[in-house]
Amino acid sequence: MSTLDTLVDILVRDYALARERVTPEATLATLGLDSLSVLELMFKIEDRYAIKITGDTPTDLLTISDVVRYIDGLLARHPEARAAGASEVSAKT
Amino acid sequence: MTLRRVAVTGLGVVAPLGNSADELFTNLVAGRSGVHRLDESLAHGLRSPIGASAKFDGSAHFPAPRLRMLDRVSQLAMVAAGQAIADALLDFAAENRERCGVFVGTGMGGAETTEEGYHTLYAERSERIKPYSVITAMTNAPASWIGIDHGLSGPILTYSTACSSSAVALGEAARRIQCGDVDVMLAGGAEAPLVFGVLRAWEAMRTLAVEDPLDPSASCRPFARTRTGLVLGEGAAFAVLEEWDHALTRGASIHAELSGYGLTSDVTHITRPTVEGQAKAMQAALASARLDPGDIDYINAHGTATLQNDGVETTAMKAVFGERAYLIPVSSTKSMHGHLLGAAGALEFIIAVMCLKRGIVPPTMHLDSPDPACDLDYVAGEARFGMTLRNAMSNSFAFGGTNAVLIVKTADAG
Repeated sequence: MSTLDTLVDILVRDYALARERVTPEATLATLGLDSLSVLELMFKIEDRYAIKITGDTPTDLLTISDVVRYIDGLLARHPEARAAGASEVSAKT
Repeated sequence: MTLRRVAVTGLGVVAPLGNSADELFTNLVAGRSGVHRLDESLAHGLRSPIGASAKFDGSAHFPAPRLRMLDRVSQLAMVAAGQAIADALLDFAAENRERCGVFVGTGMGGAETTEEGYHTLYAERSERIKPYSVITAMTNAPASWIGIDHGLSGPILTYSTACSSSAVALGEAARRIQCGDVDVMLAGGAEAPLVFGVLRAWEAMRTLAVEDPLDPSASCRPFARTRTGLVLGEGAAFAVLEEWDHALTRGASIHAELSGYGLTSDVTHITRPTVEGQAKAMQAALASARLDPGDIDYINAHGTATLQNDGVETTAMKAVFGERAYLIPVSSTKSMHGHLLGAAGALEFIIAVMCLKRGIVPPTMHLDSPDPACDLDYVAGEARFGMTLRNAMSNSFAFGGTNAVLIVKTADAG
């Protein structure tokens, strides 16, 4: 499962966004997600990949593909990250 | 200086017993109670696991990403305020929004968010406190969201004076209109206290009613010998207040006039009410409405059903109205909708408006055995119909000692 698919799954499931709206080009603003939403989203990314994010999440991510690129960067720095899709997305909000 | 008049042109309610002013009033007149046993998950371990909840699901009103930024108290407030605007047929696009504002009363603000945050930190021992915690829990969030929703850039203020918060918000909003600062105000209150920690804290104060073993819905018994305390309720109530000629010019239908507001402070004890403070607030409200005690035809009492309040309030009403106190129908609708704390004053103000409009006085329920010290006409058990009501008073008193009294006058009294 790609990082994009994982992210889309989380946004559809926990943020009740319509799947077809969550495209790589979609801006976070049009999806109703602000910089604090992205910070909150990172809790779910930590759960999904069983990693602990250290350092500050950037607050200037504009599109879904920006977020995907950021997550991919994290995963590259965290070799212990669980294989994508190996765990259930946390239903806890 | 001649003060401008204040028209009440819109009403919005999300509360136990109704999600509109009409629905609420119909249920109150029928003597129905919104007090019930709370869900076990919420009330486990409580000696008295009762409350009055609103039938309200925020997800029916807000998209999910936005909902994450809104405590229940803001959700309730925004929906009730939206209802009031719709009821007033008010189109803010046609208004000078800089002369429109929002005053909100709330006692505890985003209590659920605060509790969730502490649960994350202390119970789950997690450091993942929600990034939205501050803006969701902050007491002024409901007012700000309403302003943002409707683009109102005049004064947006939040009043937190415990159980009189929203009566103060309405009264202060009316003053702003009277003295010409603004033309249209959304004013009201919201409270969402049905949260485990909040319930526990109120229980610890020994102010909550003991659950009636036979009928939990009859647990709140204002003015009764057998009263044991208040029942917490949640909800929001908002009114559109408007300068009188502004309302007439745009052809608005005027529900009533907010004609009087009295405000005093007990400065004796943080919780104990005083006869003098309450009486002087009623007198100040009468004076500001230029009315005599003989002009009041109905009083919606604060009537919390605590041991302290009901006796003191009864004595205060006698001090203000003299022999006439015995002739004025007085009811505590808290016997049915519970105590909405910061939203109580606005809810009961709206009920008083509905009384004038319909010529009906709702009852005080569960008053089978009156306290001998409470000997006024509390409209026990059954509503009264076909009443000619010119002016109604709504009392709100509070921990902390802020006494606020509002007077509403029938729209056709001229």
